Amino acid sequence: MSEIVLVTDSTADIPSEIRERLGIEMVPLQVLFGEESYLDNVTLSPAQFFEKLKGFGGMPKTSQPSPNDFLAVFQRLIAERKTVISVHLSSAFSGTYQSALIAQSMLEGEGDVTVIDSKSASYGYGMLVVKSAELAKQGASKAEIVAEIARLRREMRLYFLVDTLEYLQRGGRIGKAAALFGTLLNIKPILTIGGDGVIYPVDKVRGQKRAFARIIELIEADFGAGPIDLIAVDTPGDTQAADELIEVLKGKFGVRQFHRSEIGSVVGAHTGPGTVGIFVLPAGSV
Amino acid sequence: MRNLNGTDWSAMVLTGAERLSHNAELINALNVFPVPDGDTGTNMNLTMSAGVAELKNKPSEEIGRAAEVLSKGLLMGARGNSGVILSQLFRGFARAVAGQRELGVSGFAAALQQGVDTAYKAVVKPVEGTILTVAREAARHGLAISRKTEDLIEWMTEVHAKAAETLARTPDMLPVLKQVGVVDSGGQGLVFLYEGFVQYLTVAWPGNAGTSAYPAFASSAAPFAAQAPVAPATAAATAAAASAPPSRAAAQSKLATESIRFPYDMEFFIRRPSANAPFPEAAFRKALERDGDSIILIADDDIVKVHVHSRRPGDVLNAALTYGELTNFHILNMQDQHRDLLRPETESGKPAASIYAEEPEALGIEAASGIPPLTEAFAGEASAPPAEEAHPLAHEMAPFGVVAVSVGEGNAELFRSLGVDVIISGGQSMNPSTEDLMQAIQSLAAEHIFVLPNNPNILLAAKQAQELAERPVTVVPTRSIPQGMAAMLVFQEEQTAAFNEDRMGKAIERVLSGSVTQAVRDTVMDGVEIRGGQHIGILDKKIVAAADSVVEATRALLSQMMSSGEETVMVLGGADANETDTQDVLAWLAERYPDAEVESHAGGQPLYPYLILVEQ
Repeated sequence: MSEIVLVTDSTADIPSEIRERLGIEMVPLQVLFGEESYLDNVTLSPAQFFEKLKGFGGMPKTSQPSPNDFLAVFQRLIAERKTVISVHLSSAFSGTYQSALIAQSMLEGEGDVTVIDSKSASYGYGMLVVKSAELAKQGASKAEIVAEIARLRREMRLYFLVDTLEYLQRGGRIGKAAALFGTLLNIKPILTIGGDGVIYPVDKVRGQKRAFARIIELIEADFGAGPIDLIAVDTPGDTQAADELIEVLKGKFGVRQFHRSEIGSVVGAHTGPGTVGIFVLPAGSV
Repeated sequence: MRNLNGTDWSAMVLTGAERLSHNAELINALNVFPVPDGDTGTNMNLTMSAGVAELKNKPSEEIGRAAEVLSKGLLMGARGNSGVILSQLFRGFARAVAGQRELGVSGFAAALQQGVDTAYKAVVKPVEGTILTVAREAARHGLAISRKTEDLIEWMTEVHAKAAETLARTPDMLPVLKQVGVVDSGGQGLVFLYEGFVQYLTVAWPGNAGTSAYPAFASSAAPFAAQAPVAPATAAATAAAASAPPSRAAAQSKLATESIRFPYDMEFFIRRPSANAPFPEAAFRKALERDGDSIILIADDDIVKVHVHSRRPGDVLNAALTYGELTNFHILNMQDQHRDLLRPETESGKPAASIYAEEPEALGIEAASGIPPLTEAFAGEASAPPAEEAHPLAHEMAPFGVVAVSVGEGNAELFRSLGVDVIISGGQSMNPSTEDLMQAIQSLAAEHIFVLPNNPNILLAAKQAQELAERPVTVVPTRSIPQGMAAMLVFQEEQTAAFNEDRMGKAIERVLSGSVTQAVRDTVMDGVEIRGGQHIGILDKKIVAAADSVVEATRALLSQMMSSGEETVMVLGGADANETDTQDVLAWLAERYPDAEVESHAGGQPLYPYLILVEQ
């Protein structure tokens, strides 16, 4: 049986040292500040991105990798006789998954490449990629890994808070939360990504404290008192809200595994600064 | 002496409506709260005006038909609690006289009684010492004496006297009246109405062949004015004028001068250049005051709404032009309007909210007195269009539509941003009618409509609209604008109506709603001693603070609203709030309650410099 290699894109927000340790291949998306273009998580770190965003008046643009970018990676891995599982950002947000699918079709049956739409974003699915890479190292089969990714995605609950819905709105990724846009009051919409990979509003509350309290209620409804595995992402340089939320969650639920990462350029360009995301799984999942 | 036919009865009702209209301001001044609360006189007047407008459009010689027409008009025009009760009194009356051509004493007495029965049934918790008591005692007395006399003039005079006597006793029945030292305002309105009935019968009724024992109209307003020792001097003066002997010529000449003083009713917007300095509201108001009245200015960032009655519309427009571009003109010659309405073929079908179509004086064909104007201040407020904007979906029905009553551009914007589809202008100073609410409900292409009255005085009208509506309507019993916002904050479009009703109901129970306003007279309320002119802080319904400055009163109110210090606070600045005061209050909040989450918006509401929402 040939070795399984995980391929993902830069929106999985997997810290580079973990990627390198597990041999996860990453194809970057591009971020464009006007004429300047950068490779997400390659030539522009999350911290650099948010620093640039502060000084930039408009909205940075992002662009998906071309099918050729994926084809080159796939062909290299196939030449090394590897089996490829390629997991990507929700197809509702980006054409990245589409590019990977086209690349796969360009192989015309050569090699073993499976392309998966994570229906999720950031380290929420990045963690599934990490978990899959670990399973591959332990000798799990392709079918087992693909099934595990699907199962974890079903069991995962994710909630995220944005400072403003403006970025999601202007970037066209607001999904079903559109109804909340334009609210003049200090409302913290609690958002999620549905099984269809689209953003949904879960609730709206006023103020951060109430938002945290509501998130706890939501987690309790699904996981009781725990224990849970917790994954959190936040904005580099603006971690106070996330720190507080993590502390509250650790105090409230027995957190077995805890992973944290930073929101990268592409996800950040669509959610804006101050975004906090948490992903919850039953204990022992990751 | 003959009986009353439909024409007589209609003319009698018109005279009564005139008495009410003429005294609307006095009735307003009798409000039991030392704040400009409720506007009973305005509400009763507007309700009655809607009724008589209908009566004039569909005159009938048959009393049964005429009463039915009036009843329908009143029901649609009903505003405020007293207005709704008034509409119920006449609804019962109309049922009693259905099918009858004429009315004698016994029929009249029975109809009054049925009106009272209907009104009592309509009110969830009847309170004694109000218009209900006055109506009931008068009707009971009318029934009792109907066995002794067939003289309609004598009978109506007795009924009116009983109403007046009962009114004088209302402070003994309702402690809040005694505390403030006034008689009940709604009851006073009814007494004026009955006074008009007597006036018509004695002075103008063709059936009065001089055989009645009561040939002359007996004045009756004076005793009630005396019952209101702390009412403002202007109201007392009005009352004195009202109690003067009814010399027709004197009344007419007096009213004529008043009504033609500022004949041009103007409404328009000034669109301001965006990067300009703040609109100099005070200066512009002063300029308008030199030759006009009924001035209403609503200044937003880039738009100023202007309403004024003026003698020289050109001067007003020239003055306004210096501040920006002018749009949406609406200029009426009120004298013309008035003459048009006197003609019987006046176009029908005008919306009930258009005050000019309804002025009872225009309908006083055979009325005994002259043509008193509606109190101009109210005419001004009422001429604002009730429903500002609707967003009906072109094709598909939305699951929900939301109608909210609110005042102030900023508050309207906040409500819209929370998902309210139609904002009806209204609140303390102007209660929208059942029909206004109905129109708003019907303008929405939605399966289920939520209505947020945002004022206790609009709740009954909202419930009436709910009953009349053909689609399911949920009235969320919000008592204030902050409560309305709290309700909208938890509204979830994707959930069911029952879920939302429950959630919104719980949300308004959970929050505290406060307001800061200015007392209009000295009084003691809720154990707080208040001097006229002081600012007072009201927590839900209770006065909890009184202070000389608005900032002090606001701080004192906030101290009572905060408990853990971790609350979420929303401060809505009114039209009269100045930025320095607002910053002062916010800085104080930040220092005293560092853990609270505070936000502040320009609400733009009149009369209340601050409205406050506190969530635990």
